[in-house]
Amino acid sequence: MALKRNGFSAAARLALTATVLLVTACAHTVQVDGEYPEPVGEQYPLNVGYYLSEGFREFTYHEDSEDRDEWNINTGRAQQNLFQTVLGAMFTESIPLSSYPQELPDNIELVIVPEVRELQFTMPRETRVNIFEVWIKYDMYAYDKNGEQVANWVITAYGKTPTAFLKSREAALGQAINVALRDAGATLYTGFERVPELQALVASKQRALSMKDQPDGEAETTD
Amino acid sequence: MVKVFFVILVAAVTGCTTVVIDEYRRSDGELADGDSVVILGRRHSSDYETEPDLIDCVGRTLHNPDGGVTVISEQHFVDAMYPWFEPRTAPLHLKSLDRLMENSEVRKRLEAFGVKYIVWIDGSTETTASAGSIGCSIGTGGAGCFGFGTWDKESDYEASVWDFRDQELSGKLNADAKGTSYMPAIVIPIPLIARVQNNACKGMAAQLQQFLVPSQATKS
Repeated sequence: MALKRNGFSAAARLALTATVLLVTACAHTVQVDGEYPEPVGEQYPLNVGYYLSEGFREFTYHEDSEDRDEWNINTGRAQQNLFQTVLGAMFTESIPLSSYPQELPDNIELVIVPEVRELQFTMPRETRVNIFEVWIKYDMYAYDKNGEQVANWVITAYGKTPTAFLKSREAALGQAINVALRDAGATLYTGFERVPELQALVASKQRALSMKDQPDGEAETTD
Repeated sequence: MVKVFFVILVAAVTGCTTVVIDEYRRSDGELADGDSVVILGRRHSSDYETEPDLIDCVGRTLHNPDGGVTVISEQHFVDAMYPWFEPRTAPLHLKSLDRLMENSEVRKRLEAFGVKYIVWIDGSTETTASAGSIGCSIGTGGAGCFGFGTWDKESDYEASVWDFRDQELSGKLNADAKGTSYMPAIVIPIPLIARVQNNACKGMAAQLQQFLVPSQATKS
């Protein structure tokens, strides 16, 4: 009886392993890792907190449609690195927040919260163009220290990479995603001041700082 | 003897490639000590991408500090100048570069690199035609392939040389390369590959060397 039970469990395990292998045979997994450089240029004169939610830090895009194989693309770690590096360098002070909206530091003027809206990709055989292409769309939210929304805007990032001899589809797609993430960082930095509400906020902070720097006498004569 | 045989064998099994280089020069290159050259690929087109390995190949072939040419690698430069030389933000014209130089941090960093010339390479290598077929089979008696395949490749690259200090276009180079590869298979497939992109790279690097250091070209 014991032998029968052992034999059955071994057969069941074998069948289960075979099923798992068959099911995952057509699944592709891409783990995107990347280190990104800090932006070169002047910092915005703001004290900013940024909150990267767990969903953002562990973001995995899953696709399993009829006309495509199954794809699992994990961009969480890479986009966490990107936003930490870019947001950490583009303001006079940047503080990563482990929770939001609780326990905000006192000196925070703005809290930035990014969210992934969508990710799309195409393969060379689908477009008949010899490149892998990736689009990522981020919803960006900015709140004041009281939790009121100051602005929201969208960052659209695009990346492509040519097919390379002896390179897997996963590797090529990972490379295209890295290009798209660099593009997202570039748009985040260069496009920040193009958001009207944020432009006004930066301008008012700059005005306040220049007033503060002005000697008292000079301030009186200008008045 | 073995070496000679090897060279003859390599020459025999390599497909033929023709390379045509055109040049338009507005001013002669003048690289002083400490000056460097950056070679960058254009990546803004939607239907092709200038291959990073082509840019790397031109840079490696051209880099010769003893001969007066110091090349900064593309990835190193683009990382150091992030985000101003990304596909979407890179200056497409000299006027845009001029505007970019209004950013003092960017200007300082470019000057620290000692950049004299920025060379933009735009183009790609594509397979234009292919024909033939090869079939392979495996059985208890062994395995083998039979058939014949052939394909044509074309490279078309244009290099624009920007003088960063004088803010002007110094000239343009064009490299067109064509080649046909063959693969006969009689039990074993024998690839006779035409190295089209590699030959375009070498031709362009040699011409850029003459362009940037004309004194070296007259000496040799």
